[in-house]
Amino acid sequence: MKIDMKKVGAWFDDRLALTPIFKYMTKKEVPQHEHSIWYYTGSSILLFLAIQIVTGIMLAFYYKPTLEGANDSVARIMTEMPLGWLVRSIHSWSATFMIAFVMIHLLAIWFTKSYRKPREATWMTGMMLLVVSMVFGFTGYLLPWDDLSLSATKVGTNIPNAIPVVGKWVTQFLRGGDDVTGDTLTRFFVFHVCILPLVIFAVMAVHLLLVQKEGMSVPLEAEIKKKKVPSLPFWPNFILREVMIWLVLLGTLMTVALVFAPSLGPSADLMSPAPAGVKPEWYFLFLFQTLKIFPGNMGPVTGEFVAVVLILLAVVAIFFLPFIDNKPEGKKGKIINYLGVLGVIYAIVFSIWSLL
Amino acid sequence: MRGIRIVILLAAAALLLSPFLAARPGQALQGGGAGAASATIAPPQGGVASAPGATTATPQDAKAKTKVETPAAATTVAAAPQTAKIEAAPVAPAPAKKPAKKAPEKRTETIVPAFAGIKEQTAVYVFYAWLWLSIAVLIYFLRLWVRESDRVYHAKYYEPEESPRKANPLPQVLGD
Repeated sequence: MKIDMKKVGAWFDDRLALTPIFKYMTKKEVPQHEHSIWYYTGSSILLFLAIQIVTGIMLAFYYKPTLEGANDSVARIMTEMPLGWLVRSIHSWSATFMIAFVMIHLLAIWFTKSYRKPREATWMTGMMLLVVSMVFGFTGYLLPWDDLSLSATKVGTNIPNAIPVVGKWVTQFLRGGDDVTGDTLTRFFVFHVCILPLVIFAVMAVHLLLVQKEGMSVPLEAEIKKKKVPSLPFWPNFILREVMIWLVLLGTLMTVALVFAPSLGPSADLMSPAPAGVKPEWYFLFLFQTLKIFPGNMGPVTGEFVAVVLILLAVVAIFFLPFIDNKPEGKKGKIINYLGVLGVIYAIVFSIWSLL
Repeated sequence: MRGIRIVILLAAAALLLSPFLAARPGQALQGGGAGAASATIAPPQGGVASAPGATTATPQDAKAKTKVETPAAATTVAAAPQTAKIEAAPVAPAPAKKPAKKAPEKRTETIVPAFAGIKEQTAVYVFYAWLWLSIAVLIYFLRLWVRESDRVYHAKYYEPEESPRKANPLPQVLGD
């Protein structure tokens, strides 16, 4: 039987209204200028998310989120499943790549001031995506259930304790009790595979919708001088360039995952003391070091409380950055750029300090 | 053509996922490349899966079997794998003296990722060579495509008013 593919295509087009989408893609234009390279970081995040979903599903087939089974099931994935260790490594490294690209993407937007009117909501949803990505990393870190992940989670979930009134409740909610136990593991697993994916898809949908609605930003200078910026069609000119970058990133990820595959420690013992050299994932290192440098007591409050409040204030300020930097072309805009540079230097120096 | 492409894509996806979806029987019993750590997880060497007729046993089954077997039974299995099932099944212990289940030993070593054998190692390296070669070839063709797309765009080929197609005398000559 011969299938008429034209008819099949027309059937799908009729039901899914694909023609208007393709028409939109061919009409959509991407500005071409000296900062255009940063546009590619956005789609690279999507690539890594897709890899995470595929490898995450593969791992979930064998993972057991219980106190007795978690570490053993990861060990089984690594030793019994064909190339299971490589799949786990790709999952872990794509998380690292994804968070790194989210950070680069945000910094690029910060320094090109693309968050300015009318793209405030796009920035805010982007910040939400960064936070969700980091929570993804935090919940995933506990799942292998070895000594290091247990201790890091104990430290991490203890941080909200410093916040008055709600802090204790937040810690109890995160842990599913007073301490990190098997309930915490199950809870983190549910967050990691059910709740956070739903949240990230919802926020990402809004983010992408806003990007489509407002279009891609042009450099601030060109906007002020009302210069016409040359552009290229999204399809096929821009998307083909994106595909080339995806291919290089895919090859790099696969190679890094092969060469630097993560190992697995013995199953965590809830009664044993924390091992030496407990460290969170790299993207939490600067926050970890910030918490460490504060003294135990600072007048009537604890040092940890001051550190947590400062970090929260910084996060809130960054979230509302488009409203703070409401005149990006003026002096305020320059100061905010300098603050951005200082922030990057602080994060790098504190992360390195934490590793020493 | 599109139908064939879809079929090829589906087949490739199935091929890619198939080794991971179903653990190969006997895979765990080969010792693996994870060194000493895997030995603590895998059942005893020369065990049930090497025996003819035991090929349907999955690693889970093998593992479960290892847990309930007494050390004596395990020795018997290792010594004479062909008769392992027959010997182990009919001998029912007295109800009063039920052998206590031995708790699984806790692993104390760190599992370092490694290839399961030279075959897997070679396969992975060949795959990686193929991957990078494919990337290089694809990028080469994509660059050509990008150049052509840019040329067509800058020539305003698809612009209704300025398209060079309007100056093309061929359709008029052919009567179109």
